[in-house]
Amino acid sequence: MTTTSSTTLRTAHIKAILGNELHSRLPSTKILLVGAGGIGCELLKNVVLTGFGDVTLLDLDTIDLSNLNRQFLFRKKDVKQSKAFVAAKTANQFNPSVRINPIHANIKDPQFDVAWFRSFDIVLNALDNLDARRHVNRMCLAANIPLVESGTAGYLGQVQPILKDRTECFDCLPKPVPKSFPVCTIRSTPSQPIHCIVWAKSYLLPQLFGEDENGGNELDEAEKQGENEQEIATLRKEAQAFTLVRKALRNSQPSANGKMNGNSHASGSADAARLAFDKVFSSDIKNLLSMADMWAHRAPPTPLDFDKIADGSFVLPGATGSKAQSAQTNGKHVNGNGSQTSAPEASSSSSLKDQKELSLQESLVLFVSSTHRLAARLQAGEDTISFDKDDDDTLDFVTAASNLRSAAYGIAGKSRWEIKEMAGNIIPAIATTNAIVAGIIVLQALQVLKKEYSGLRNVHIQRKAEVPLSACSVGPPSKNCAVCRDTYAEFLCDPARVTLSQFINGILGEGDGDGTGERDVSVYEAGRILSDPDFDDNLERTLESLNVSRGKFLNIVDEDGEWGTISVAIGQLPPNHSHDEPAFILPSPLPLPPKIQKPTVIEPPSTPPRKRSADEVEVLNGRPAKRPRVNDAPEVNMASPSKKRRLEEDGLLILENPNEVVDDEPELIAID
Amino acid sequence: MTSDSQDIESATTAMSPVITDAPDSKTRRYDRQLRLWAASGQSALESSRILVLSGTATSTSILKNLVLPGIGHFTILDDAKVSNEDAGNNFFLEGPESIGKPRASEAVRLLRELNESVDGAAELSDISSAIAKGASYFADYSLVIAHNIPYSQLNQLSEILWSDVTLPHLIIVRSAGFLAEFSIQFHEHTIIESHPEMPPSLRLDKPFPALLEHARSLDFENMDVTDHGHIPYAVILVRAMDDWKAKNGGKAPTTTAERDAFKKSIYAMKKKSDEENFDEAVTQFRRAFVETKVPMDVADLFQDQGLTSLTPQSSPFFHLLAALREFCSRPPHTLPLSAALPDMKADTKNYVHLQKLYKTQSEKEKDEFKEILAQSGIGVAGVEMGMVDDFVKNCHGLRILRGKRWGALDANPTALASALLSSPREAATHLALSSVSVLLEQTPQKAITTEAVTAHVLNLLPKGTELPSEVEEALGEVHVPSHSHLDESADLTVSVRSPTADLPNTAAFLGGIVAQEAIKMITKQYVPVNGICAIDLIGCTTGIVRV
Ligand SMILES: [Zn+2]
Repeated sequence: MTTTSSTTLRTAHIKAILGNELHSRLPSTKILLVGAGGIGCELLKNVVLTGFGDVTLLDLDTIDLSNLNRQFLFRKKDVKQSKAFVAAKTANQFNPSVRINPIHANIKDPQFDVAWFRSFDIVLNALDNLDARRHVNRMCLAANIPLVESGTAGYLGQVQPILKDRTECFDCLPKPVPKSFPVCTIRSTPSQPIHCIVWAKSYLLPQLFGEDENGGNELDEAEKQGENEQEIATLRKEAQAFTLVRKALRNSQPSANGKMNGNSHASGSADAARLAFDKVFSSDIKNLLSMADMWAHRAPPTPLDFDKIADGSFVLPGATGSKAQSAQTNGKHVNGNGSQTSAPEASSSSSLKDQKELSLQESLVLFVSSTHRLAARLQAGEDTISFDKDDDDTLDFVTAASNLRSAAYGIAGKSRWEIKEMAGNIIPAIATTNAIVAGIIVLQALQVLKKEYSGLRNVHIQRKAEVPLSACSVGPPSKNCAVCRDTYAEFLCDPARVTLSQFINGILGEGDGDGTGERDVSVYEAGRILSDPDFDDNLERTLESLNVSRGKFLNIVDEDGEWGTISVAIGQLPPNHSHDEPAFILPSPLPLPPKIQKPTVIEPPSTPPRKRSADEVEVLNGRPAKRPRVNDAPEVNMASPSKKRRLEEDGLLILENPNEVVDDEPELIAID
Repeated sequence: MTSDSQDIESATTAMSPVITDAPDSKTRRYDRQLRLWAASGQSALESSRILVLSGTATSTSILKNLVLPGIGHFTILDDAKVSNEDAGNNFFLEGPESIGKPRASEAVRLLRELNESVDGAAELSDISSAIAKGASYFADYSLVIAHNIPYSQLNQLSEILWSDVTLPHLIIVRSAGFLAEFSIQFHEHTIIESHPEMPPSLRLDKPFPALLEHARSLDFENMDVTDHGHIPYAVILVRAMDDWKAKNGGKAPTTTAERDAFKKSIYAMKKKSDEENFDEAVTQFRRAFVETKVPMDVADLFQDQGLTSLTPQSSPFFHLLAALREFCSRPPHTLPLSAALPDMKADTKNYVHLQKLYKTQSEKEKDEFKEILAQSGIGVAGVEMGMVDDFVKNCHGLRILRGKRWGALDANPTALASALLSSPREAATHLALSSVSVLLEQTPQKAITTEAVTAHVLNLLPKGTELPSEVEEALGEVHVPSHSHLDESADLTVSVRSPTADLPNTAAFLGGIVAQEAIKMITKQYVPVNGICAIDLIGCTTGIVRV
């Protein structure tokens, strides 16, 4: 039997069911799969089995040594390779005729701009964090490419097909503040506080205080089987480092005694805390740093120095205006959102200690003291200690360790209170839900490709035994959505040679009142305001100097709320663009935002034209690129939801505001 | 696809290292799922032995999701050789290289690579030979799963497994095109940890003495403002009600006006307008007077046949249930107090104090429960202590499910007709799959047509039943062609000859959902589907046909 005929036979059933037309298109359909984790790998398998022939698979993470995945490493020679590459290779072995292009990168990297997204026929999201999901949603809207969105948490899951102007987008419905955090990974490269919390809770705490790893035998076994020697050596070293710390934690007097006696006994738990610190916050991070390719598109972490933090001389590099700094600011902004704002300074009450964000030094002190307390418990006879959010010692340890890790990675710190909330609500991902979700994603993708839009469904996997799956027809876009109701356009330019005013004037064009032409507008990038009618300092600066580059969006918001928001994606000039021409190419035609229906309610005349006081302008001049948003928020012009959204768009702020956590909804899943 | 075959699957879990790796520590390895079904569930899973009939793509998808979380053992019973079609749609085969080899052996080998602690075996024999061995052959297993096995064999199998309550449960899975169904055959299934969505009552309307005393002891008026803002709402409500009763002749508010007044009295206790703990108390104010009773679902269990016929040989569950009934017959006529306190606005100090009060009282009531149990027929020794603790802790969600023999529905035209009325789409899916399965066996060489299936469906129903449009739609999704289409396209031939061949996405979906139900049955946690779960993957719907 020839290959062709066997292939024909193999796929005949699928073909019969999908129809000849769609089936013959699958091999050439360009599909982008974002995420090669739990859902992603299921999805890749399904996509390949279904007969798709051109898959781009993107994932940021590596199968990493420093996380727990030892068995997996030993069996494979793929250690430290990217998840995307390993997954692609395997799927290809199953079906070599599928073209799989793995990319090991962050989907938010600049090269993945709108033009890049436009090169696909459909995008499938298999991501586990809200920020990236929202990003892909926006990119797909800008590129006008269909997206099938998904997410899981424990037994719950969700699939949503998104087509511009036809269905709700990911941001149409405000995302409820999650009480729980679907987290399925311990990341070697954390980007959110929750990653650091999971790491501290599920990795570091068990490593030090959990069951003994006894990894030696496995390593020997792996060696016998001829696994990568270098990896084994590294792992062995890692195991030894932890063994050393574990010994120190268990074998000596509590440090308090040590200190009081002025004891020179060098193996106290004081030293264990120090040993642990040096291993995970210093040498492990230095190891990671040595892999230069990992840090091409993201800020490298900073190894921490125990002594310098202790004496207060440690400074995170670039602490002014750096990622760490702005993350801190964001963190505060978050905390300032609710009614608890007023509290922090208020008092010395012990209850408020919980809500305070710890300084680096305070985190260190807490790390050492909680390690001592836990060590004392081991020495008093407890075999192992596992996390319990109501066990102060473990909570302190997780608080301290996660904040230290956050600091090293330039991530906002969290208060003990927030960490308790978050650590108690981490919902594990499970294989069964991933499988269900991945099956549905492809089915919905097929409906999209067939253009059978009546068959599109928002699907929820729920825990009800009566109706495991609930599907509802997809709704139309929300009229007030600040993401999909924007008018999208693309502006190709060299950001180093284009000023903000060139950009604004170019996009607004020459027209007179049909949505084009000069008018009062504000310009935003993510959460930042770059200009508005009262604030023109930036107009003659280049986009580059304003940190506006390829892959980012500039939003032009009408000051009087008469016109819809224009969302302009910054793209790259074609390679053959002559240097003599202007350093930008305008979209053609120019974007025409819809006229906003003014609310019929008559507003008091004082509201709409809001002008800022001189004082405020003064403040702004001090910090031209970043307006103090807390002040700005209350006077947001509500006629422009985009503007409001812009203000909220601070990465994970909605996610982790503890003030909004408690509501009347039933718990998603009882974990305890 | 060589030894890397499980790469993709492992990479599935690479996102969650906690599950696949750290084989040295169970806790770590299964961290994720432990949080869903706890150690008791995990150990049940690890001692389970699962028999799977047929090595289809659906079967291996189900098994993948059972092997990953760590069942004890699985056997695939299948005498088929890998076909071209298998090689194309079953990821747990090595693609074209597997063609012609025994399907079960190939699949077992690749599945075992997912988790070394799971034992797997291939049995290369015919299902009928297993059936011929009778009940003893199956008694070794804790669960049997059958996917798309011939109708008559399914009938025999279900009869054997139904013959004795100690024999394993049977999960029947059928699929064709985008339609599928599964059901679980069991006599009785008792669940202690159902993980209900409703939390247990805090019993604020009947505060236990220590709680009442604590609420009374607080000096709300003269308290520091910050501390005032951190009193848990439960304490606020108990105090507010106590104050109310003191002023109202010991009576709780009953009329709407009184209840409004009570609500206002809580507002009035605020020192500052933004005290969220008081807002929370206002939202929850009904808890202060709505009477805590034994939840209806649990009260119904007190009438269960398992209690009326209680003997020393009854399972421990029913002895515990009897003790619970006795406990609830005594004042305050509630379930034993739960120690689980939900989160509430409070600082750690206040919250932990309240938690201690609940814990102490809950221990006390558990001791009372144990005394009752000690005096009962079985005695405390007859029940494992851990089970008593679990039972008391989870008593607000106890469930007893009773099932029917597989095939009971198809043998009952009236029941089928009424299912078709009450849930037409689900019943239509079931009828289509049932009929296709029967016809496939009767006329394996012939194309199955819409006309033939429709005729068979009508045969199952009472004479003169009008078929709703859902039946026709269902047949469309199974992709059974009508006579008139038969010659149009040669491509249809394969699907016509084997309408039940696996589609990858249907198989993946079933792999997830069936494994999930299997885990519920094995761990005796969460409430499994009771009835026939009908799945339509075009409409992405699932629904239950009651049996
Ligand atoms: Zn939208």
